[in-house]
Amino acid sequence: MRYLARRVLHSVLLLLGVSIFSFTILQLAPGDFFTPLSLNPQISAHTVATLRSQYGLDKPFPIRYEHWLHSVFRGDLGVSFAYGTPVAPLLAVRARNTLLLTGTSLLLAWLLAIPFGIWSAARRGKLSDRAGGIITSSLLTIPDLVLFLTLLLVAVRTGWFPTGGMMSAGFDDLSIGGKVQDLAAHLFLPVVGLVLATLPPLVRHIRSAMIEVLDSPFIRAARAHGIPEHRVLFRYALPVAANPLITLFGYSIAGMLSASLLVEVVLSWPGVGPLLVDAILAKDVYVVVGAVMLSAVFLVAGNLVADALLFATDPRIRTEQVN
Amino acid sequence: MLAAFSSVILFAGFFAPYDFAAQDRDTPFAPPTTLHFVDAGGSLHIRPFVYDPRDSASTSPNAEAASEQTYPLHWFVRGTSYKIAGLIPSRTHLFGVEKPARIFLMGSDAYGRDQFSRFLYGGQISLLAGLIAAILSVSLGILVGGIAGYYGGWLDGILMRGGELFLALPWLYLLFAVRAALPLHISQWQVFLLLISVMGLIGWARPARLIRGVALSAKERNFVLAARGFGASDAYLLRRHVLPQTYAVLLTQITLLVPQYVLAEVTLTFLGLGVGEPMPSWGALLTSLQQYSVLSSYWWMFLPALLLIPLFVVFYAAADALQELHKSVPL
Amino acid sequence: MKRETLQSDSKRFEPLLRVSGLCKQYVQRRPFSRQKIVVNAFQDVSLNLFPGTTLALVGESGAGKSSLARCIALLERPSAGKIELAGENLLVLDREQLFPLRREIQMIFQDPSSALNPRFTACEIIAEPLLIQREGTNSQRRARALQLMEQVGLDPAWERKTPLEFSGGQRQRLAIARALALGPRLLILDEALSNLDAANQSLILKLLADLQAARSLSFLHISHDLRLVSEFADDVAVMYQGRIVEAKSTRKLFASPENPYTKELLASVRSVESILLERSA
Repeated sequence: MRYLARRVLHSVLLLLGVSIFSFTILQLAPGDFFTPLSLNPQISAHTVATLRSQYGLDKPFPIRYEHWLHSVFRGDLGVSFAYGTPVAPLLAVRARNTLLLTGTSLLLAWLLAIPFGIWSAARRGKLSDRAGGIITSSLLTIPDLVLFLTLLLVAVRTGWFPTGGMMSAGFDDLSIGGKVQDLAAHLFLPVVGLVLATLPPLVRHIRSAMIEVLDSPFIRAARAHGIPEHRVLFRYALPVAANPLITLFGYSIAGMLSASLLVEVVLSWPGVGPLLVDAILAKDVYVVVGAVMLSAVFLVAGNLVADALLFATDPRIRTEQVN
Repeated sequence: MLAAFSSVILFAGFFAPYDFAAQDRDTPFAPPTTLHFVDAGGSLHIRPFVYDPRDSASTSPNAEAASEQTYPLHWFVRGTSYKIAGLIPSRTHLFGVEKPARIFLMGSDAYGRDQFSRFLYGGQISLLAGLIAAILSVSLGILVGGIAGYYGGWLDGILMRGGELFLALPWLYLLFAVRAALPLHISQWQVFLLLISVMGLIGWARPARLIRGVALSAKERNFVLAARGFGASDAYLLRRHVLPQTYAVLLTQITLLVPQYVLAEVTLTFLGLGVGEPMPSWGALLTSLQQYSVLSSYWWMFLPALLLIPLFVVFYAAADALQELHKSVPL
Repeated sequence: MKRETLQSDSKRFEPLLRVSGLCKQYVQRRPFSRQKIVVNAFQDVSLNLFPGTTLALVGESGAGKSSLARCIALLERPSAGKIELAGENLLVLDREQLFPLRREIQMIFQDPSSALNPRFTACEIIAEPLLIQREGTNSQRRARALQLMEQVGLDPAWERKTPLEFSGGQRQRLAIARALALGPRLLILDEALSNLDAANQSLILKLLADLQAARSLSFLHISHDLRLVSEFADDVAVMYQGRIVEAKSTRKLFASPENPYTKELLASVRSVESILLERSA
């Protein structure tokens, strides 16, 4: 349990660090949301000043950070200047959408990567493995941006898939089944993009982790005992490989989040990504900080889950305490 | 191969028929110009030539021109002035055609700008950005990793925890957050420099970790101990014994990081957060693809995206080759 | 090659190196716990080494002997005790004062491959101490390095070769040449012969003996091979579980060991010879 407590503490500190970091960075920029307004000769300096003080932009940095921190604990993430609404509900909706996308893609990616990785490791060196390796490498070298643009092109040219958004107009009028179908149609391209983008490194790592385990002496002993290969793979090798794989899972969340940002913008999925981009362009400070913090929270939560899984499955981690 | 590619980019001004900013509003979204060898009269020309697309009677922008007026392709023409590598002024371009005809090898964009030229110039910007940012990251990595690995103790702990912070976050989000800090309305060159610095400053964590590992193992080697026995100072040991061990790692790191950073720059510019108009970063070339109309009608605008793929293949192949090379060197 | 120890004439010769009550402890802390685990590398070690003689330090394999060697070579700091070189306590000196004194004590390691930087040339390796101690110009250092190569039996024409191009025995010679560069009075050999085959061992021993005679060097030779020790050492100190349990001249030790551990050690050596004796009978 101490191990987990340590990890939680670590994560909290990390989040705190991230918040300070993003807040600081944003304050370093000259000018703020209202700067373009102040450049407009039709708006008096007085109005701008009033707006500024209304939103608390004229107070010194540490105070603003403190205020922000306090309000976060109360669930209030500040106000978006661009939308004129509180940040928290705004982010919540977007976060839900991003989670839908990322969650589905993560699940799918791992569901595909594990069998493929194990299969490649089992057939290491043979033609099928080499072919798989070539496919993986090619996918790896294609820049994500190009990949997503290609998908968009496909959508536009063939008209088989909707080219953006999460729901069609008139969504609410559809039946439950219809709604699910509509959602799926919209989800399809972004998920394909995300999965294709994150699959290759996953497969590679799974393959090498399995190979490393398969090379160890105890596997050779098991084979020498005549244990059938598929048992060796699944009951002997896989549990040992699980440790690095679970750690990999934690890292893959980070990669997935990064890629999801891009996918959302290119394929117009209404998640946190486009919100963040717009907010940056508009210098909508609290939205930016909120979005960055949100992604950090997702990441940290995912890693904590991975840590908990590790704790539950790997006895070595538990025994660290006893000494 | 990489060398050939980079030399083309370096001398982009020479290879490109047009300046990247020169707009020709008469020919927006022109399809790539076809080179002809046989004219309407059926006679063969040795020099390839083009037709002026505006000669066509049809108003459709995609119509193939069929006219009498041929504009032969010239080599080493005098065109608009530019500077080689930003320093040496010159007016010679590799090829071009006489006015008013245009040669758009990759078509033109909404403003009638030659995509081919923009692609070449864009290469200058994007590749340079990637290279400089990678060098920056690796230099920081050496500094931090070397110190952390060599001195160890609490310094090591703090530095590595800090590094974890940078590594743990999704890098794109981090990049954006830092980018958000930067003012949006400053001169192009400043944006370029800031962008590079930001990318470089964020990515130090991974090389630092690797270098720290090397430094850690190197400092335990007996020859370092022996040198210490002669009274060597820490600075000497770092400089002459520890750091040279890291060279191999450094090289592979750079070759891995450059494509990553090039991509980062392209992505940022694509989203409007990078270098601004009219600088033709590759990302800018791809921005228009976000518009539905572009994607449906003007297929050649997609070419820059496709051309990027072989470039990255070359990069990764070079990185792999370097890794193989350094593995065979005995430690 | 045995020599009469000069210990009996202690009024004429003072010990070059006097170690008194040296201790070294390693402290490990469990993370997040107040518990400290103290490990003693060695305790209460006292040695005397006289000029021009060889003191052998024997004992079981373990960190004790090497750790002691490194402390005496001033590569690690002991937790307590005194190390006196020609009467001066080295442990109380600060970095600057210690700098010139480092020339006096040099160390030769067990594995020459790890002790020589594979990217340096032979000449650079030997000249390095001179460089660090800021002696002479580049050409002077090079000349000296070539000279030393000859003295240890290496062909000076090989000055540009890297350590990998030398054989094991030759690498040790390289290490010895490097150690001699600054003209030390004391050489510490940490199992320096253990990685060599028997032929090389005798060659190197001969070299060391010649050097000792020529320059009046003192050796602190750590070894676990008692046969070798009986050949080259003037005095022997036996180490057991971090303490010196017996220390006397070689002749006396082999003739009449007192400590039970010493007796065990000697017994195991003799048994080989007695087996051979039996077999030939």
